[in-house]
Amino acid sequence: MKSLQIAATGMAAQQTRVDVISNNIANMSTAAYRPRTAEFSDLAYQQVVTPGTITSQTGTVVPAGIQIGTGVRSSTVSMEIVQGALRQTGAELDLAIDGAGFLEVTLPSGESAYTRDGKLSRNPEGQLVTMDGFPLADGIVIPPDARRVSISRDGEVVAYFSDDAAGQPIGNIQLVRFVNEKGLEALGDNLFRETQASGTPNRLTPETEGTGSIRQGFLEDSGVDVVKEISDLIEAQRGYELNSKVISASDEMLAATTRLR
Amino acid sequence: MSQAVYAMLSRQQGLVHEMQSVANNIANASTSGYKSDRALFVEYLVGTGAENPSLSMGGLGAHTFDLSAGGLESTGGPLDLAVNGEGYFAVQSLEGQRLTRAGHFQLSSDGLLITADGLPVLSAGGGPIIFPPDAASISIGADGSISVDGEPLERIGVFRPAGDLLKEAGTLFSAPGGYALAEEATLVQGALEQSNVVPVIEIARMIDVQRAYDAGQSLLEAEDGRVSQIINALRER
Repeated sequence: MKSLQIAATGMAAQQTRVDVISNNIANMSTAAYRPRTAEFSDLAYQQVVTPGTITSQTGTVVPAGIQIGTGVRSSTVSMEIVQGALRQTGAELDLAIDGAGFLEVTLPSGESAYTRDGKLSRNPEGQLVTMDGFPLADGIVIPPDARRVSISRDGEVVAYFSDDAAGQPIGNIQLVRFVNEKGLEALGDNLFRETQASGTPNRLTPETEGTGSIRQGFLEDSGVDVVKEISDLIEAQRGYELNSKVISASDEMLAATTRLR
Repeated sequence: MSQAVYAMLSRQQGLVHEMQSVANNIANASTSGYKSDRALFVEYLVGTGAENPSLSMGGLGAHTFDLSAGGLESTGGPLDLAVNGEGYFAVQSLEGQRLTRAGHFQLSSDGLLITADGLPVLSAGGGPIIFPPDAASISIGADGSISVDGEPLERIGVFRPAGDLLKEAGTLFSAPGGYALAEEATLVQGALEQSNVVPVIEIARMIDVQRAYDAGQSLLEAEDGRVSQIINALRER
């Protein structure tokens, strides 16, 4: 009874979908989180009678044949490229990226990681760091006597001191773009790492060549659309149920077979 | 042995296959671009000797699939495409060119437009489609013409097969009869075609198959009882 295994692949696929949806809902308040979607594709077909098989000497052929499917698999769980809403926080070191691009941070291992979560603060050395303490790769150090810092939309960081109204530029924040953002590897903690699939990082000045702009005093909200997630969840749950019905029907057919003797 | 048993056996076997196709449809109820399977039963005649009438048997004759369009689900992804009406995207698989309705595309690290399984999507001219690395906004018109940041790029090919299609894994179809460009096809950007499986129909089919199978088993049981009665009667003589 292959229909048992086929329905089992269907249940597994719907289970994956529920897992992905629950992770999205769990991250509905995570800054700059991008929802994931599970996509499926069908499995190989068993060719019982191949279409085009010759049925007589006069050259007649089987028009449709018998192809029996063997179920479904998850083909990809991809990140949706959506811009989350920008929420005003007023904090000096809260940055939101309006448009495409990532901030580059340096991990303790020296490796680069990328994030869109712009909730920054400064460490004892005055470096701009993420909430986990990883410094931005742009190497910006805020002087300890700076009164305030302003970050322009194109990434220029200017420090203001009490004795100078003009302010001094102390560096530039660049944004990193990838050809295939969906190919980035998620590391957790809102961080991503480059992979073969994502392509090499492309460091650009904000607001040039289609790169997004930096907004000081804002944070990017999660891109999760809760209404959509809930309707997907209902669909996935019913899909799971339908597959379980197939299992019980196949089981009853098997029972009818064994009843014979 | 009684011919009725063989006639039923052929039908039961066909029903088991049909159950598999129902299971496959339900398993793929969330697979975008999936087309549901249909089973076709045919009668065939078996000779039972020169003087005797021939025996009619029913069995699974062919599988067809329902090529009607599935609903369009809006996703908002710039590279999620759906064909509105007839037509297929062409992709380059390892075995050759294949057609698909599943338009969940993405870019590879080289800027190549690929499917979720990494197969390159073909342009109207039949070549791969390569996006510039600094592409910021991608818009795709109803006729498949791509523009990147306002600059026209290639045109995504939408094709129509000349003959019958054959299903392959990965929501792909092969077209042994070849295919040609469908000029009048329209594309929808930011949407995916859902599976065209209708759960209600599949469940009705499933119940139908299950009950027909039960009925077949009852007939086999009755036939079995009849044969054993004869054997017992003969033994008692």
